[in-house]
Amino acid sequence: MAKTQVEEINRNVYDIVDKDNYDFKIEKGITKEIVEEISKQKNDPEWMREFRLKALEVYNKLEMPTWGPDLSELNMDEIATYVRPKTKLNNSWDDVPEDIKNTFDRLGIPEAEKKSLAGVGAQYDSEVVYHSMKEDLKKQGVIYTDMETAIREYPDLVKQYFMKCVPVNDHKFVALHGAVWSGGSFVYVPKNVKLDFPLQSYFRLNSPESGQFEHTLIIVEEGASLHFIEGCSAPKYSKINLHAGCVELIVKDNAYLRYSTIENWSKNMMNLNTKKAMIGKNAQVDWVTGSFGSKISMLYPLSQLNGEGAKTEYTGISFAGEGQNLDTGFKAIHNAPNTSSVVNAKSISKNGGKCTYRSLIKISPKAKGSKSSVSCESLMLDDISVSDTIPVNDIQTDEVEFSHEAKIGKISDKTIFYLMSRGLSEEDAKAMIVRGFAYPISKELPVEYAVEMNNLINLELEGTIG
Amino acid sequence: MLSINETPVRTSKSFNINNININEDEIPDKTYEFNNVEIIGESSKIKIDKIQTPIDLKYGLGEELTNQVKTKSNQNYQIIVDSKTNKEVTFNFNFDKENASLVENIDITANEGTSASFIFKYESSKSLKAYHNGIIKLNAKENSKINIIIINLLSDESNNFLTIDNTIEKQANVEYTIVDFGGKKTITNYYSNVKGDLSENNLNTIYLGKDNQVIDLNYIAELYGKKSNVNIEVQGALKDKAKKNFKGTIDFKTGAKKAKGEENENCMLLSDTAKSLALPMLLCSEEDVEGAHSSSAGKIGEKELFYIMSRGFELKEAQKLMVRANFNKILENIKNEDLKNLVLKNIDLILN
Repeated sequence: MAKTQVEEINRNVYDIVDKDNYDFKIEKGITKEIVEEISKQKNDPEWMREFRLKALEVYNKLEMPTWGPDLSELNMDEIATYVRPKTKLNNSWDDVPEDIKNTFDRLGIPEAEKKSLAGVGAQYDSEVVYHSMKEDLKKQGVIYTDMETAIREYPDLVKQYFMKCVPVNDHKFVALHGAVWSGGSFVYVPKNVKLDFPLQSYFRLNSPESGQFEHTLIIVEEGASLHFIEGCSAPKYSKINLHAGCVELIVKDNAYLRYSTIENWSKNMMNLNTKKAMIGKNAQVDWVTGSFGSKISMLYPLSQLNGEGAKTEYTGISFAGEGQNLDTGFKAIHNAPNTSSVVNAKSISKNGGKCTYRSLIKISPKAKGSKSSVSCESLMLDDISVSDTIPVNDIQTDEVEFSHEAKIGKISDKTIFYLMSRGLSEEDAKAMIVRGFAYPISKELPVEYAVEMNNLINLELEGTIG
Repeated sequence: MLSINETPVRTSKSFNINNININEDEIPDKTYEFNNVEIIGESSKIKIDKIQTPIDLKYGLGEELTNQVKTKSNQNYQIIVDSKTNKEVTFNFNFDKENASLVENIDITANEGTSASFIFKYESSKSLKAYHNGIIKLNAKENSKINIIIINLLSDESNNFLTIDNTIEKQANVEYTIVDFGGKKTITNYYSNVKGDLSENNLNTIYLGKDNQVIDLNYIAELYGKKSNVNIEVQGALKDKAKKNFKGTIDFKTGAKKAKGEENENCMLLSDTAKSLALPMLLCSEEDVEGAHSSSAGKIGEKELFYIMSRGFELKEAQKLMVRANFNKILENIKNEDLKNLVLKNIDLILN
């Protein structure tokens, strides 16, 4: 029987390189002078300048990870950590310079905004170039803006939460982020305000040999509800680019947040991102993640269940093709009684790609009556690819229900035979199986909101199996 | 501090499972004589020589412990199996005041088409501070069938270090049953090179932890052979402040077409201060395989306990019954009734 051919993700629209037409690009490397210059260029308040310098000290002290993918190709002396595009922040697409606007047009962002979003932010290299939100949400007290504006206009809120959820000494690349961060979104949803439509921030890194270090800080007050979508992409260059963003989610008692990510970085990107949610009493955070791009990814969102009855769900899919090493997964720390976590992770490896599911489920002695259920499935589409599952389960009290299951394998010949006996061609049968494998995840993705996701899940997976 | 029993693939340091630390003074510099060994069932077809053989391990517990066996062993056995029908040989290592420290090297070669069973029992008096560091190396040649039972009944004051390294050739079948009850620390490194086509390796373990006992199990099976098969089943229970680290790796190597690997680990938590840490890894570089693992932890079901107690049993008795029920399938592998009864008696003692 012929082998299933699932093509690599078609990257055409993502790989279009725009002219590296910046207003300011910091020199390459990471030194005190460079960090001070970034701080000056960004007009930081004094506390932020000091914060950056302290983070740099931590960065210099911490060692590189001793586990996971090989990061030896990453040379910080070759990375420019700050690139300011030639535009200010705009709140109308018409005011965004033509070349930058064209990029976002190709990705379908303005179109999606018109159809189905409550607000959109767009970052190009190191700065946010567009931000807007529906008027009625502003009246309800919802804040959705870029981080720089938030620091100026809501200093107390930002100071209270900025890098408290993810401290800079968490790991080396968080410390780096703390030192050179730029751009990102700030969201504040007041008590009991429920947003019917999602907010979406899109991050595009265009400049070669540079890094993107956006900071996303979301505060969902008691009883409030939000769906936030994050998209990322970059064109491909021959040298390494770096993404070390940081996402901090503070979800208070009885609140709900759904955080969806479609990550489609180019294959020269090291994606070393950090995401963490602090979840209050009876609150819930759901993560939906699609990882398709990058050369190397190390990304393990963390849900810290701090309030009694807090819940979290992680639904994720990774697709690793040639030259890709996607080391992704999830962490849940149960810190309060009767908390629950549900994990459903899938991966597809093809053409020598490597997918690793790496995780931690920790149920602390305080978390009596907690439940956790983890399911991982990996599909191998050839014998030159690799698929690893490395889960850690740390159970520190007895009144818990914990289970973890993982499966690995190829497309079953029997299933193909069955479908063919029902009149499907072999190609259609295989396509249906791959689609069925991805379905539990793809149905959770907000495909109706972002054209990009349609491209990735439907067009590419369905149309190119031959 | 010495870092020992490293996993074949590392994960984040903060998860505290890549290795286990012990104090250097937990490995004694000097080893004394150990003479209290009883060998039952010797046969002309199973040749046992008291000679040291070269030790070459893929993993092992760590340089210090491996070197101790290489240079300071006080018991050495080279065993060559030539029996075509299954013969059983039992080694009883009885620890007492005069024989408190055992550093042994056991090297078994099962020749083509042979069959044998071995029982290695390590038992000490109750309060003895015993020390055990052993290496069992097995080479199961084509079509051989080897069944090994290891029973650890050392005292709560003891340290128990065990390394197992198997090479399993074409159509060979190797089965281990490990009963791991004793020791303040009991640390095992188990490795199988499942290299032959159609070869098979089953590993069944039961453990019981109490007081401040630390149980660290690092089981690794690498599948190279086509249609090879590995099954790891681990059932355990922890009471008091006992802690268990289970690290299980099934690694499908390129070329292991139609290989199957399954790993199941279940930990019953009998107190709210017991801790279960598990890392059930599946590594895969071959498409045409079937791999699965499952891991679970939690209290014994309230409903089941209630049912048993409604039949007139007290809580402790009901717990014992449930633990025994979970262990039963693995205990079935112990055909020797006396040995099985000894294990059952120890389950009762520990759970009292």
